[in-house]
Amino acid sequence: MDALMSLFEGFAHALTPMNLLWVVVGCFLGTAVGVLPGLGSSMAVALLLPMTFALDPTGAFIMFAGVYFGGLFGDSTMAILMNTPGQASAIASTFEGHKMARAGRAPQALATAAIGAFIGGFISCFLVVFVAPALADLSTSFGPAEYFALALFAFVATSSVVADSVLKGLMALVLGIGISVIGIDSVSGTERFTFGVPELFDGVSLVTVTVGILALGEVFFIASRIRRKVNDNTINASGRPYLSRKEFGEALPAWLRGTAIGLPFGVIPVGGADVPTFMAYGLERKLDSRRKDPQFGKGAIRGLAGPEAAGSATTGIAMGALLSLGLPISATAAIMLAAFRQYGLQPGPLLFDRSPELVWGLLASFFIAMIVLLIINLPFAPLWAKLLKIPDPYLYGGIAVFCGLGIYATSASTFELLILLGIGIISFVLKRYGVPLAPLMIGMVLGPLAESNLRDALLAAGGDAATLVSSPITIVLYLVLIGALVYTGIGRVLARKRQKQTTQEVLAPANSSQS
Amino acid sequence: MSTQTHTNTARTGHLGEGTWWQGRSGLLVPLIMGAFSTYLLVGILTMEVAEDADKPGPQFFPMIIMIVGYALTILLTIAYIRNPEPVDVDDEQPAEAQEDRAFSTPVTSAVAASRLEPHEEDEPAADRRALAEAKAADAKHRTHSDFVSLAWGAGGFAAFALILEFAGWIIAAALLFWCVARSMGSKKPLFDLTVALTFSSLVYIAFAVMLGLNLPSGILGGGF
Repeated sequence: MDALMSLFEGFAHALTPMNLLWVVVGCFLGTAVGVLPGLGSSMAVALLLPMTFALDPTGAFIMFAGVYFGGLFGDSTMAILMNTPGQASAIASTFEGHKMARAGRAPQALATAAIGAFIGGFISCFLVVFVAPALADLSTSFGPAEYFALALFAFVATSSVVADSVLKGLMALVLGIGISVIGIDSVSGTERFTFGVPELFDGVSLVTVTVGILALGEVFFIASRIRRKVNDNTINASGRPYLSRKEFGEALPAWLRGTAIGLPFGVIPVGGADVPTFMAYGLERKLDSRRKDPQFGKGAIRGLAGPEAAGSATTGIAMGALLSLGLPISATAAIMLAAFRQYGLQPGPLLFDRSPELVWGLLASFFIAMIVLLIINLPFAPLWAKLLKIPDPYLYGGIAVFCGLGIYATSASTFELLILLGIGIISFVLKRYGVPLAPLMIGMVLGPLAESNLRDALLAAGGDAATLVSSPITIVLYLVLIGALVYTGIGRVLARKRQKQTTQEVLAPANSSQS
Repeated sequence: MSTQTHTNTARTGHLGEGTWWQGRSGLLVPLIMGAFSTYLLVGILTMEVAEDADKPGPQFFPMIIMIVGYALTILLTIAYIRNPEPVDVDDEQPAEAQEDRAFSTPVTSAVAASRLEPHEEDEPAADRRALAEAKAADAKHRTHSDFVSLAWGAGGFAAFALILEFAGWIIAAALLFWCVARSMGSKKPLFDLTVALTFSSLVYIAFAVMLGLNLPSGILGGGF
C-alpha cells in the first residue's frame, strides 16, 4: 500500500491551483495541436519543450502529461472526422472510425474514441502506480551490459521491425546515433567531431534535433506539396454525443481487449503505439468476421474502440517505463526524456528516491489529465473541429515562428538556428524519400547511453566481448530480439508475395482490356 | 518498395525526364549517408586522443557507426539504382491493390491475415477519383516537389536566423511568418504582413515580457 500512500501525496501535490492550471493548459494545447491535421502529440511536446524554461520542473511535466495525452485524444478526433491521422498511432482509428462518421454516426464515433482513450489510459496509469516502483527496483540489477542490450533492442526494433524498409530504418538510426557522438566525450574528455567550433563542444542539442525533425521538417514537407490537395472530406459532427446502452455494451469488450493488448507494449521498445493499435484492430476484425452479422467495413464500433484503448494504454505504461527505467519507447517519450535532462534530472530508479514529489505528482496528474480530457473532448469534440478553420499559411507560419522562438530561447545563438535549419532541410529530404524519422530520434536519445554502457562493460571485462552476453537478462533480451527479427522477416516475405499475387490478379484484366 | 502496381508512365515535363536520373533522385538519401560517414571518418582521423585513454577509447563507438554508415550507403545506392522510384501518375488504383499495399508493411502485416475477403466497401469512389485527379494535376508541374515553395520556406528561415539579433524579434519573426505563409500558397501579401506583425508582437509580449524569455528587441528597442 506504499504506492497508494505515495499516490495520495502526489494528488495533494498535483491539486494545487497552479499545477491544476498547468494540467488544464496542457490538455487544451495538446488537444488543439492533435486536432490540427498532420500534427501529432510528439510535435506538440517538441514545440512546447523550450517554453517550459519559465516553469518549475513539476509544473512543466504536469503540463507535458496533459499535452501528451491531449494529443492522443485530438488525433483521433481528426482521424474520425477527416480521415487524416496526425501520427501513426491514429491510423488504425481511421479505418472504422471514418466509416462510422460517414454513416452519420460521427458524434458516437468521437464518444467511442474518447471513452476508449480514457479507459485505456486510466487502467494503464493505475498499473503504472504499482508497476513503476517495482520496475525501478528491478532496474537496479541492470549493469552496463544489460543497458547496452536494452538500447540495442530499441535500436533494432525501431529501425527494422517497425519501419517499412530495413535499409531506410537503419539509415535513420545510424544518422541519429552519429549526431549523438558529436561533442566532448563523456568518458575520456576528448573533443570529437567539433572541428574546433566551440558551439559544438556540448554536442548538438536534442531539442534542436527534435524541433528540426518533427516541426520545421514537416513545415517544409507540407510547403513542397501544397498543390496536392485532395477533396476536403470533413464530416460535420452534430447529434447526440453519447452512446446508447447497446452501443456501450458492444464497445466495452473491445475497449478492454484493446487495453490488454496495449499494456505490454508500453515497456517493449518498438517505437510507440502504432503496433498495438494495429494489433487491436486486427483482433477485433478477426472476432467480428466470426459473428453472424459482421459489422466491419460498415463502421464497426468495436474496430474503433479497440485501437483507441490500445494506443492510450501503451502511452500510459510508456510513461511509467520512462520514469522508472529511463528508457524512452517512442519519439514523444524521447522528448520527455530530453526535458528531464534539461532540468538536470535523470529518469531511472534514482528518480523515485531523489525527487518523489515530482514523480508522484506527475503520476497523479496523469489521472487528472485523463478526467480533464474526457470532459473537454466528450461533449465538445465537434467544437475542436472548428480549429480547422485556421488557414494553412497562418497555421504553418505560426509553427515556423514557434520553432525559431523555442530554439533561440534555449540557446540565444544564431549558430543553433542555422543548425536547426540544416536539420529541417535534411528532415525534409528524408521525409520526401520515405525514410522513417522515429529511429533517428531513438538513436539520438539512446546513442550516448549505448556508447557509455558498451565502453563501461568492455572496460570492466578487459576488452572481452563475451561479457555482453554473460548474464541471463542479456541472453533473454537478445533471444527475444532474434525471435522478433525472424518473425517479421517471414511476415515481410509472405506479405510481399501476397501483394504481388493480388496486384497481378487485379491488373491483368485491366491491362488486357486496354490493349 | 512496391513498384509493380504502376503500369502507366505518362508524366509531363518532369525534371530529368527520360534520362537515367528519372525516379532515381532518391540517390540523395545515400548521398547524405555517405557524406555523414565521411564527416565521421575525418573526425576520427583528426581526433586528438590522450595517450592514457582507457581502452575502448573515444574513437571506438564512432568507428562502428561509420563502418555501418558506409555499408548502408552502398546498399542504399544499389537499392535505388536497381529499383527506381515510380514517378509515373496512376489512374485510379483498384481499392484492393491499394489496401494490399497498405497492409504490406511489417507493422500492418499483423492485420493482413484478418482482411475481409472478398472486399466489400472501401473508400468511396469519389475519394479515390479525387486523389487520382490531384496526382494528375500535380504531374503537370515542372517538378515533383515544389522547390519554389520550399525555397520560400527555407530562405525565410535562413533570413530570420541571420537578421534576428540585429533587427530584433518582432521584425525577424514577422518576416519568417510572412515567408512561410507565402510558401504555403497565400496570395494576399499585404494582409499577411499585418497578420505576421500582429502574431510576432503577441509572441513577444507573451514570452519576452510576461514569461521573461530572452528575445532580442533589436533596432526597435532602446535605440530611440
